Amino acid sequence: MNIRKSKPWNLPESAATSEGDYLNRRKFLKAVGLGSSSLMGGSIARAATAGFPSTKNENYLSEELEPTDFELIAGYNNFYEFSYDKGEVQKLANQDWKTEPWTIEIAGHVDNPMKIDVNDLVKKIGGVEQRVYRFRCVEAWSMVIPWDGFELSALIDLAQPNSKAKFLKFTTFYDPDSAPGQKGGSIDWPYVEGLTLEEAQNELAFLATGIYGKPIPNQNGAPIRLVVPWKYGFKSIKSIVKIEFTSKQPMNTWQALQPREYGFYANVNPKVDHPRWSQASERIIGSGFFSKRQETLMFNGYEEQVAHLYKDLDLRRFY
Amino acid sequence: MNGIARILRKRWLLYFLLCSPIFYVCTPQIQYDTEFRADPAKYLLDYVGLAATYIFAIVISITPLRRIFPKSGIVNSLAYHRRPMGVSVFVYAFLHFLIYYFYTGSWAEFVKDWEKLFILSGILAFAFLFLMAATSNNRMVRRLGARYWKRLHRLAYPVLFLIIYHQAAQEKTGFRETALIFVPVLALQFWRLVLASKAFLARRNDSANGAE
Repeated sequence: MNIRKSKPWNLPESAATSEGDYLNRRKFLKAVGLGSSSLMGGSIARAATAGFPSTKNENYLSEELEPTDFELIAGYNNFYEFSYDKGEVQKLANQDWKTEPWTIEIAGHVDNPMKIDVNDLVKKIGGVEQRVYRFRCVEAWSMVIPWDGFELSALIDLAQPNSKAKFLKFTTFYDPDSAPGQKGGSIDWPYVEGLTLEEAQNELAFLATGIYGKPIPNQNGAPIRLVVPWKYGFKSIKSIVKIEFTSKQPMNTWQALQPREYGFYANVNPKVDHPRWSQASERIIGSGFFSKRQETLMFNGYEEQVAHLYKDLDLRRFY
Repeated sequence: MNGIARILRKRWLLYFLLCSPIFYVCTPQIQYDTEFRADPAKYLLDYVGLAATYIFAIVISITPLRRIFPKSGIVNSLAYHRRPMGVSVFVYAFLHFLIYYFYTGSWAEFVKDWEKLFILSGILAFAFLFLMAATSNNRMVRRLGARYWKRLHRLAYPVLFLIIYHQAAQEKTGFRETALIFVPVLALQFWRLVLASKAFLARRNDSANGAE
């Protein structure tokens, strides 16, 4: 008999909020004067990856994890392609930027390279499921997000990497005309991220096309983004146009910018501080002014699933 | 004195302007700011810190502005308000310090962070501002004597560099915001130094000529 053992991060379906949050979100949008046809509402209606019903994956729901309100997930965004200002991204990402249609390219050391429409990709994979993950930003704040999408390993199986493939290099869209942040600044656009093949094959590595059962809002990385919950948020690259299987370790954007502060691995680690602030604890988004910080967990609470990937690695050096 | 300068001289207007950042965060409008809702402590921390920085940037520029535009009524009105403005920098810095305590959530975390240069620079700047605010009334000026008082209040210049560092260290990439505020401030200080050295050379020439 197959008995499913409940793991520490597993939590029941009841934890994945939905209705109340949607209602709140509408109220919120109304209050700030955004009709449903303007901002997110509009983009959701015509977004790519609509029309895939999401089933909750019981292994990745959690009682102890209370999902963050949708309006905060969709309104508090680091997306420097649009703005350095977290509160401005939502507006700017829904002005000129089109996330549909969207083609994603799979290239490099694979037997099955392809350029494929993101909807066709989801169909090929066989639909989406919902997982509730912790999300920890390197800026020492955290959310809990019910993502809809599929395991990255499913895409790897589709691509069929050959023996030369050791890393995955992810690249974001580049379109300065519709993403004003890409017109300048100190970042060398487009944004690039990377994983080792082993990391990418881990059961937790996920490609998200939705949040709370709805297509992912533009500002959260429509139409498809990476989610690697045991790493700091900047590793979870948004709006992916290309996944390349490489033999050399890719140089990710933040490491290129400030190698002393951001590395390739960027695993959540309460024992290794950022040079300018502590990583031992985090502020919970939406918890209010007087709330205490929450202790940050090793690998963001996913130690059991990922610690073996790094058993031979000095995490102080390879931060 | 022209009309604008006369209006600018009104104390009630000054107090209103100095309090206006507080009025803004007390309006119900703030409830609809997602950044505020997401993490009010972080939002208010940045907010009052920036208010202190802006007011400081103005106060520190009063002396160079007076040297460069000695006859300007507007600059003179600004100079008239220098003391309350200086004290308000301390008040906003104090709020910043207080909110930082809530942001860290515990005394232990709060103190542990002081070892980081980023935080230490802010704490030091705050300590200097405290010394200046505590000696800002007439009684203290008399007690210290004008010369020592003036010397003590030159702490404003170390504070200037501490704030520049503190502000820059808080930016994740580049120094855009810091540069936007402090390039003009440093340019004014530089100009003032140029004027001062010119005056010094002119005086030396005069006395050299007089000796002939």
